[in-house]
Amino acid sequence: MRQALFLVALALIPGLGQAIYFREKISWRSPILPSESVNVDQARAWGENAIWVDARPDDEFARDHVPGALLLNEDRWNELLPQFLAGWSPGKKIVVYCSAERCDLAREVAERLRKEAQISDVFVLEGGWEAWLQKNR
Amino acid sequence: MRIRLFIFTLSIFLCAMARAELKWEQTMIELHPMPADTQAVGHFKYQNTGDKPVHFRSVRTSCGCTAAQSQKDEVPPGDKGEITATFNIGDRTGTQVKTVTVETDDPATPTTILTLRAVIPQELEIKPTFVFWQQGEAPNAKTIVVRAGKDFPVKHLKVTSSSPDFQTKVKQSGTGDFKVEVQPRETSRVTAAMLTIQPDDSARAFNVTARVTNAPAVQ
Repeated sequence: MRQALFLVALALIPGLGQAIYFREKISWRSPILPSESVNVDQARAWGENAIWVDARPDDEFARDHVPGALLLNEDRWNELLPQFLAGWSPGKKIVVYCSAERCDLAREVAERLRKEAQISDVFVLEGGWEAWLQKNR
Repeated sequence: MRIRLFIFTLSIFLCAMARAELKWEQTMIELHPMPADTQAVGHFKYQNTGDKPVHFRSVRTSCGCTAAQSQKDEVPPGDKGEITATFNIGDRTGTQVKTVTVETDDPATPTTILTLRAVIPQELEIKPTFVFWQQGEAPNAKTIVVRAGKDFPVKHLKVTSSSPDFQTKVKQSGTGDFKVEVQPRETSRVTAAMLTIQPDDSARAFNVTARVTNAPAVQ
């Protein structure tokens, strides 16, 4: 028993070392807080009160997108932001989406809207574009 | 018979010993692009230190803003190569972290995640980049804080409005720190302006949107 515990403790050493050495490594996929995300059904329930924002690259938006969605990606942020702001008014809820759950584009666009434009009520769509497709086709 | 059995067993043993192994020089690269750069490129170098060839199955990036490609599909034993990851900066700011997921037939490490970290220099930090008043709201001045990046000394700031409906005033609050006051003439109607902020020594201009918006709909 003592030997087993000793071996387990020994195995923990490299694990702890890695945890300390890589403690500041940024995960490319940061979790989205529950208060900052919304699913398709919830977003659709907002109706006209919601502005859908597509955070994907231009070519993906051009291929297909949520009807009425505005394109706002970081490739052309400075050019697209004024167009988005022209369609926004206080009280509107913003739903940002990108491709698939592992994509961070929507989270990054949402964060910029909150921090730089200081707009509140910005949400990331759970499951992204694929989740919307599943519910609508 | 025994000799044949021995040779057969030995050959099985030697085959089991043979392995493919891709060793990476670095799996994380930090880049510091210049302000005028539109791309940041990382070269992830590898070598097959095993004695079997390694085959790439897929090379996928974490977003469409990053492209990655391998020079070859098969890496013979002892061979070296690299995966080039090109990150398109666009209008991104701050520290950007993008990944490339590499899948091979190396049984020891079938999946490797390569990380590209780009620290994008910020000439000016502007907060907020959007100021608004609701229709009927008192047309009081609102303040935009502008801070010069540490590697970009700024002595003066020029601010122009695309519409006479919004007036601007610049005040310096410290070395490289400025406050831009924006005030609409009136808020009785919906109107908008693009405010252009330009550091004195820079050809680059930064935009802030000012608007008088509709009042929120009654729900």
